[in-house]
Amino acid sequence: MVIRFKTLLFFFLWITSVRSQSDTITIGAGSPGPITWMASSHVEGSGPEKMLNGNGLDGPFMAASRFLAQAGFGGKKEDIEKVLSMGLESWIDHQFSLPNEHLTDIVDEIMTDIFEARTRAGLDNGEYYGPWAVHFHYAWWTRLMRNEDVLRIKVAQALSEILVVSFNSDIAAWGKGAASYYDVLLRHAFGNYNDMLKEVAVHPVMGYYLSHYNNPKAIPEQNIFPDENFAREVMQLFTIGLYELNPDGTRKKDTSGNDIPSYNIDDIKELARVFTGLGMGAVEKGMVWPPEPRFGLNIYFADKLRPMAMYEDFHDTDEKKLLNGIVLPPGQKGMDDIHQTIDHLFQHPNIGPFIALRLIQRLVKSNPTPAYVGRVAAVFNNNGQGIKGDLKAVVKAILLDKEARSNEDFLSPDNGQVRPPLYRLIHLFKSMTLDLPYEGRYWNNGFDILDGMGHHPLGSPTVFNFYPTDFQPSGPLAAEGLVSPELKIHNTSTAINYINKMYASTAWNSAWWSWEGEQVDQAVEINYDYYMEISHDLEFLINELDKLLTHGQLTDDTRRILRENLIQIYWPSEGLNQYWWRYSRARMAVYLIMISPDYVVFK
Amino acid sequence: MALHSINRRKFIQQAGCAAMGSTTLLSTLLNLKTLGAASVFNSTVSGGNDYKALVCILLSGGADAFNMLVPTDQNEYNTYAQTRSNMALGRNALRDLNTLNTSGRSFGVHPAMLYMQNLFNSGELAFISNIGTLIRPVNKQEVYSQSVPLPLGLFSHSDQVMHWQTAVPQERVATGWGGKIADMLRDVNENQQLSMNLSLAGTNLFQMGNRTVEYTLHRENGSVGILRNQDWVGDLQSAAINNMLDKTYADPFKQSYKETIRIGRDGQQQIQSALESLSPFQTSFSDTDLSQSLHMIAKMIASREALGMKRQIFFVDFGGWDTHDELLMTQEDLLLQLDNAIHEFYSVIKEELGLANQVTMFNISEFSRTLTSNGNGTDHAWGSNVFVLGGAVNGQRMYGDYPLLNLGNSNPLEIGGGILIPTTSADSYFAEIALWFGVPESDLSLIFPNLTQFYSPGSGNPIGFLRI
Repeated sequence: MVIRFKTLLFFFLWITSVRSQSDTITIGAGSPGPITWMASSHVEGSGPEKMLNGNGLDGPFMAASRFLAQAGFGGKKEDIEKVLSMGLESWIDHQFSLPNEHLTDIVDEIMTDIFEARTRAGLDNGEYYGPWAVHFHYAWWTRLMRNEDVLRIKVAQALSEILVVSFNSDIAAWGKGAASYYDVLLRHAFGNYNDMLKEVAVHPVMGYYLSHYNNPKAIPEQNIFPDENFAREVMQLFTIGLYELNPDGTRKKDTSGNDIPSYNIDDIKELARVFTGLGMGAVEKGMVWPPEPRFGLNIYFADKLRPMAMYEDFHDTDEKKLLNGIVLPPGQKGMDDIHQTIDHLFQHPNIGPFIALRLIQRLVKSNPTPAYVGRVAAVFNNNGQGIKGDLKAVVKAILLDKEARSNEDFLSPDNGQVRPPLYRLIHLFKSMTLDLPYEGRYWNNGFDILDGMGHHPLGSPTVFNFYPTDFQPSGPLAAEGLVSPELKIHNTSTAINYINKMYASTAWNSAWWSWEGEQVDQAVEINYDYYMEISHDLEFLINELDKLLTHGQLTDDTRRILRENLIQIYWPSEGLNQYWWRYSRARMAVYLIMISPDYVVFK
Repeated sequence: MALHSINRRKFIQQAGCAAMGSTTLLSTLLNLKTLGAASVFNSTVSGGNDYKALVCILLSGGADAFNMLVPTDQNEYNTYAQTRSNMALGRNALRDLNTLNTSGRSFGVHPAMLYMQNLFNSGELAFISNIGTLIRPVNKQEVYSQSVPLPLGLFSHSDQVMHWQTAVPQERVATGWGGKIADMLRDVNENQQLSMNLSLAGTNLFQMGNRTVEYTLHRENGSVGILRNQDWVGDLQSAAINNMLDKTYADPFKQSYKETIRIGRDGQQQIQSALESLSPFQTSFSDTDLSQSLHMIAKMIASREALGMKRQIFFVDFGGWDTHDELLMTQEDLLLQLDNAIHEFYSVIKEELGLANQVTMFNISEFSRTLTSNGNGTDHAWGSNVFVLGGAVNGQRMYGDYPLLNLGNSNPLEIGGGILIPTTSADSYFAEIALWFGVPESDLSLIFPNLTQFYSPGSGNPIGFLRI
């Protein structure tokens, strides 16, 4: 016992030695700064035990670990230390400055790799199908794992869950087109929401998904009228939502106390006329027919990387009455109509709180207070230099807000979120050392995650995302009036598939694999050597994992369950047996923490 | 009996809790009243040996129901063809229905609906026409002036698909009518560990009650078990998991997360052993997701005794109907899948299990689509047509009022853009299904708060398509 404590003390002295003076910790009640939430006795999961075993001494590291799981997907000890040494705001600024690797380039690189490997193996590349969704998956994971810019990916993924297109459609056949769409989100993740929306509106993948590609003006004598799909969703899901909002995201009420709709069916019909006349921007490369792009050709023939083009003959040029009395004059060019319409929606007072809530839910918590939404919405509306929609400023406001950072109430029932399954997996993969064969390829086919857990980039079942913003399961959350969007995809099937994925990731080391067969055979394994080495020191093992995975929030109960389990995974003989109990114990520790409520619920 | 009273006491506690936490007066009242209803039900219905199952198919995306059920007499067909323009089906391709109750009017179904045509003509399938979400009956003038309450978010997927599942279109509530039925009737099931509500579509609103949570099945594997080694390390693993699952967490997120796993763990062994003891059906099922889902449902119905179930409510989500584009091609493909799957499923239920009278299948969909075309597809509308299938169905009949399909002032139901005001409330449809399933007539309005706008309790069946 004494020896163990000394070991730990040594370890923590070493950790604290790399930190700056401002992080000095005072044990006991009333100490200011980040330490208070770890050591204060009224908080569940702290208490004297952690102070004794040394784990409670490491508040700033835990806080940085928690921050990195909000701003990214968690990470290794050195990743967290980087956050600590830079400070949160500098770390964010550093993230803003990192170069943006394009998914389309990675798709090309992957296809080249595959074709070269097949050629070496004497296989006919004409037989090979792609790029389709699986190659997008390979590229997405490659980009995620080999780049440092986790904040950009986290924000882009959040945006992809607002501006939804999905492989649950013909888009599954267009791996590079989907990558090009996602590149729009990656590029504008640190740009302006308005610019992004304009690119999204004319991207052929969105044009296909919400069917304003080849949408002609009305032919009234034939009872043919413009398609309303994009017109409706650009308002309902991408900008203003169904109801008029106060600046803090709460709903405005009329004199009878009812919600006030933001728009009606006539507004949709007017807007549908705006999004007429868009067709292919270019013919797909390599096609011998058609000779040139024109309106009405099936999207199969279209280059899915080129923005849609306006075909004025098919655009409705009559006057259009938009929301709140704005009128688009007759005879305008189609693209002018579209840009003015998006500018108009962008000026709507709803958009700030509407987008603020959604981004806060993806990065920090499910139930932000109206005040928090209001603060972020205010930054959306004005970044301090009079610019609206500056996502860098918005992201900073979300992550540095006192409600995201607070050390006081973070274990309260209304704080936190259920980590979505994809992020749980990434968190493990980013926290552990990976064994990579074959030139460091990170090709993950991803389908076990999508099919088994219902969550994977661009895999939403519909335009309404994997989970609605206001999903409220019955039971204790409903009783508290709380929402938990991510629980929409948590059911008796997905919950257990996740547990089994963790089993594969630990007991079998298997992180992921590609579908490319033996020519470019590729599987990624997790290396647990370090945890095997320290597994004789149970407290130390648990604490090490607690720091990376649960940010110091493993509760006493969960620790007890872990201890009671892990202590029994032991047999004192020499040789191979020592390897096997270390093997089993280290993996069991990771497995149990990763499936524990303490981990999956991110406070 | 002892088991029942314990459960009732739990119910009182839980319903009380839920009521305290509810945000609206309406749902509070509902919770409190549902409590009374459960006791009524237990005193009158439990103890019977009957078995009944509901199978709800959600055609998500908004199925174009006016290309599923089409008028075929010359005048009405001509109106249909003119209104629907390039989205109209050819008269000769339609499959004729031998309707018993549409004097002077004739109808046909989409060419892909071969088996559904046969089931209609053999008296086991019925349609309900121009049905939709309503708070109370409305006419065109009232819609324009919005002088009467209309469902929230008309024409919007997310809202309308919610209303078809909750039957409370004036609000966004977190419980569905299938869940509330299960709340009320759950004590009839001997097995209180496994949910009455079995989903092939994950978590869904329809099956969510105040104390009922769906059990999600995998369409091919049934239920998923937790992987482990069959050795002492595996035993330790199970023990640790059980320790985590069997405790109560004060944190509502943690409690919700672990409770789903606990339910999964408890149900898994029962379901797996029931499935293993089943002999395969003679009927083979197609390789579509829908057929595979209905296959799993048929297996669960066949396992009803092994599972201790007298009532089961199934839910399937069959998507892809949001045909803004390529309506004609897409709908044909989807209807072929639907028609085949229904045929396969019903063959097993009727011929192999002999349960035709005890299983009722019905469909919901958020809305039908605009009668007018957007070039190569159709947009979101309101009034729709639905089907109901089973031995208990008064089939070969059409219920509700099939509307005129002309546009403009001469059609009192068309409010512009080829959107029709529904003339039959979805509530009446649901209430009839609930009655058949065993909900006492006096308690219908606890589940369907707007029902009395359309139906007087005590006046017989709300619509008449089921033999109750």
